[in-house]
Amino acid sequence: MSSPYGKVAFYPGCSLDGLGKSYEESLKLVAKDLGLPLDKISDYNCCGALEVKNVNTMAGLLLPARNLSLAREMNADAVVSACPGCHYSLSRTQFFMTRYPKVAQKVNAYLEKMGNKPYDSKLLMVHAVEYIYNSVGAEGVKSRVKRPLNGLKVAPYYGCLYSRPKSYTLSGYMGLRDDPERPSFMDEILQALGAEVVPFEAKTMCCGGPHAYSDVDVALHLEARILKEAKRNGAELLITDCPLGHVAIETNMNKIAEKYGEDLRMPLVYFSQLVAFAFGHSPSETLLTANITDPLSVLKRFL
Amino acid sequence: MPIPNLEKPIIKGLIEKEKVVVDGVEVDGTWNAFMIERTQTGYDPSVWDEIAGTLEGATISACWQCGTCTSGCTMREYDPKYSPRRFIDLARKGDKESLVELQNSIWRCVSCQKCTHRCPKGVLVEEVVHSIHNYLLKHGLVQSDPGTVFDELFLDVVMKNGGRISELTLGGASAKAGFVSLSLRDLISMSGALLKSGLIKDVMKPSRVKDWDKVKTVLEDAMKDEIKPEDLQANIRYQVVPQ
Ligand code: SF4
Ligand code: SF4
Repeated sequence: MSSPYGKVAFYPGCSLDGLGKSYEESLKLVAKDLGLPLDKISDYNCCGALEVKNVNTMAGLLLPARNLSLAREMNADAVVSACPGCHYSLSRTQFFMTRYPKVAQKVNAYLEKMGNKPYDSKLLMVHAVEYIYNSVGAEGVKSRVKRPLNGLKVAPYYGCLYSRPKSYTLSGYMGLRDDPERPSFMDEILQALGAEVVPFEAKTMCCGGPHAYSDVDVALHLEARILKEAKRNGAELLITDCPLGHVAIETNMNKIAEKYGEDLRMPLVYFSQLVAFAFGHSPSETLLTANITDPLSVLKRFL
Repeated sequence: MPIPNLEKPIIKGLIEKEKVVVDGVEVDGTWNAFMIERTQTGYDPSVWDEIAGTLEGATISACWQCGTCTSGCTMREYDPKYSPRRFIDLARKGDKESLVELQNSIWRCVSCQKCTHRCPKGVLVEEVVHSIHNYLLKHGLVQSDPGTVFDELFLDVVMKNGGRISELTLGGASAKAGFVSLSLRDLISMSGALLKSGLIKDVMKPSRVKDWDKVKTVLEDAMKDEIKPEDLQANIRYQVVPQ
């Protein structure tokens, strides 16, 4: 299948190697079925997420830069991240290195000391949703569906960093990017599976992310709002593309339900898990069994 | 100047009299309230310079105080004192006293990037807010806060665990630091799901960068280095779309 991105390197990021494993495994299945390459940057390091940059400027630049340099060593033209947090961090470093040539020189000098190649700022950062959507389109997804999810009501949660801020992601400035205020790429992918996407205004609302531990009351309320909006519109599942938000909401589900009402409980599924499931893969292959919430309580009717 | 009733409660040192006569005319209502004259001193113009000289704060000067950032800010909904526009205003005036008064608010940014995304002047608002906060921390004007403690912990875990982070290492470290962490019930439901799917092996498996010790040494060196104001000469066409 042709991709508009040239050669692609896949940056898994730490969360996909941990609780987000079900995201990674299902994404691999989907990519394979669609004939999309997904070569991992194998010696990757943590991108620093939204934390390291606040502690130390140079570390905040260098951690992502090392990954970008590794991707260029693979001759990649683009880096696909499944985690919007990683997508953001990599884009941020690229932004600062492009904007300030002297900062780039400094970063590159340290990269060389680490034994890496200097980074030439030539990569395009791509989120997994964009990668699938722009490479095969909704039609391409539709043509592989073996288990149509007709009648399944879903709410797609994109999270903050999927296309914000435009200065880093270039959303609105270039093609191949989703609408940052009202994204729709994931909606179209889910519709291609036969699912019904409910109106959902919390698509890009914040889940409290970096303060999930340190400002708990705010985080819980933000998460409850997302679930409430999904429930109000009749969604049966919350579909995510962000392991940070996914894990935060899943692990906090009991507390949210206790505080804001049991009726907010809802299973969460990574978008790639749902796509792989619709492509005919079993619940154990797609690791739907590994989610902390229980999506099979809803999906069993399609088995 | 008449003072609108709504604003009276937020004004420091307001005097309201029963009866006031000015030049033989009796005034009442909103005309009846006065502010004590006060002059605020201690503005420190070096604050603006220092923040504008950091990588994160470099765009602070472009702000035209429109308030777009504050009006859509996630944190603002929870904390009426939280206002990126105001933080920028105070930092540029060099009003350290007022910034210190806001110390329980200023650390609470959740990095949702709405402000940076929407700013009509290209201010990287989220970055600037962190830069202002870092200024206060660096000069010992404010105590550390839960957000900063967590950020430092995160970096520490990355450095000590082979350049990667896992829910286990981070969760363990944050529990030790006394952050409200997962309850027993959550842990049981989590490990239940992981065990069922056989995923527990993957999550437990330590995963490291190959030559981490070497990378770490260079990183530690780099962390002592600083971006200097003269490093911040921007490309005019600073953001190019890769071909
Ligand atoms: S949106 Fe931008 S220009 Fe407007 S007040 Fe905020 S930082 Fe300043
Ligand atoms: S990034 Fe921080 S300052 Fe900006 S809108 Fe979000 S919470 Fe507010």
